[in-house]
Formats: sequence, C-alpha cells, structure tokens
Amino acid sequence: MIQSLVLTHGAIGDELVKVVEMILGPVPGLTAQSNRGLSAKQLSAQVADWVAGLDESGGIVFLDDYGGSCASAAMLGGAGPDRVTLLGGVNLAMLLAFVTWREDLARDELVQRIVDKGREAVTVVGAGR
Amino acid sequence: MNLVLARIDDRLIHGQVTVGWGRQLRPDHILLASDEVAADAWQTRVYAMSVPPEMKVSVLPIEAAARALREPDGALEDQRVLLLVGAVLDMVALVELGAPIEAINLGGMHYARGKRELLPEVYVDREDVMALRALRDRGHQLLAQAVPGGRETWLEPELLAEMESQL
Repeated sequence: MIQSLVLTHGAIGDELVKVVEMILGPVPGLTAQSNRGLSAKQLSAQVADWVAGLDESGGIVFLDDYGGSCASAAMLGGAGPDRVTLLGGVNLAMLLAFVTWREDLARDELVQRIVDKGREAVTVVGAGR
Repeated sequence: MNLVLARIDDRLIHGQVTVGWGRQLRPDHILLASDEVAADAWQTRVYAMSVPPEMKVSVLPIEAAARALREPDGALEDQRVLLLVGAVLDMVALVELGAPIEAINLGGMHYARGKRELLPEVYVDREDVMALRALRDRGHQLLAQAVPGGRETWLEPELLAEMESQL
C-alpha cells in the first residue's frame, strides 16, 4: 500500500492529518513529521527510517514548501524517485485525494490526481459583501 | 564584497535563511562553507536547489571559503554575501584562516546528544561554548537571533561564562 509522510514546519502536518482523519476516519500509512527542534541530519534520519519501512508500492512525501529544510531532509533521507515522490504545497484537498484514490491508482497516476485536486482547491471562493 | 550576514545554522540553507534573512538583507550570493557538504555532490545539489533563483550559491570547503572571503574575486566580487556554516567550530576555522568576519549570528543550533538548551533553539556543549568564548575574546560580536525581528540575545562574556558554568 502506498504510504505517505506529511513533512512540514511546526504543527501543520499533524493538524492536517488530524483533520483528514476527522473527515475520513483513521488512515493507516498517513504519518506526520514536523521539523520542529531537529537539525538537518536528525530530520533526514527520520525520513530515512520512514523510507526503510515502505513496501514495494512506495510512498509520497508531502511538503509544505519545496525549498526549505523539509525538502532537503526528504532528499537527503533517501526519498528518491524510484520509491518516493515528493510533492510541495500540501493542502487538505491533496491529502483527501491521496486517501481516496491510493488503492485504485498506480503511484504516478495517483500523484497526478493529487496535484490536480490540490490545484483545484486553490481558488477564489467569492468576494466579500 | 559586502558580507551581510555570517550565520551558524545546522540546517544550513533553509527558509529562515533564504526567505527570512533573504527578504531583510537581500543577499546576491549564499556561500555555504562546509567540508562535509562540499565533498558530497548530492548534498551540494540538494542545498543548492533550496536557493531562490535570484540568488547565486557557492558550496565550498572551509579553507576555500576562507580564501574566497579574504580575496573575493570572480564569483563573490561586488556581491552581497550571506555566509553559512553548520557548526561553531567551522566559524572558528574560517576566522583563524583570515576570513574577514565581524559580527556572527547564531541561528538554528539544534539538540544533539550531550548538548543543552541554553537559549531558545541554541543547544550547546562545552566545546561549543569554549569556541564561542574564543570568538568573543577575538572581538567578534555574537548575536543569537533566529529570524529578523525575532528575540535577540547578545552573547556577552558574562553570559558565556554563565553558560559554561551550567555545562
């Protein structure tokens, strides 16, 4: 089963995962990891541990940005493209898409679906009155 | 060359540096001085990818970085340079090799075995404090501040002595 790690600054990842589980119920294989209080090496080691636990389906790392300590730690922790896809700009719609389609789509297709849903969610909902 | 910030930060190139300090200080060039990173092509590539496109980046071993800072030509000439090292001892090495560094910023110095948190986000061991005292004794101003506008703590000799007594 494709697993995912939500690797973010502060409590963003924890809270996103909590909200996903509030909406969909418990989700195995959806884990949050904060960079709070960790050096680059320590955070990379956390990612490496997570990568080591993946099965042949691989995984997806969701990042809240794509040019910071989380992205560096993901790459230095061994989250290479053969087993893991890195996605920046995580939002709730992306995580809901991950959970909804991860058992029906191959990882490449799933990633595209997640990106599409994430982009759709970034929208001007309406002007204030 | 204008050295706009010399920072000790064990996360090296990351958001607090490129976005936080970058927005405030407008560096043209980030110089990452690290023997370990410079010796590893993958680490060099990963950290270089973290730099916004409007900034240049150089990843150099300590000795080459000190030389580049001493005699800035080519890549660093006429640049606003933001210098990063991952450990206090690397900053000491740069200074001892003649790099023209005055004030030193302490950013992320995270927990590791044997280190104690003596300031928010600044974990040190006895070796770190001795190295900081050596820098202060040489006349370098030491300021612990993670981001612009954030809490500032000047590491004066009295504070460093107090830190040492706690270790």
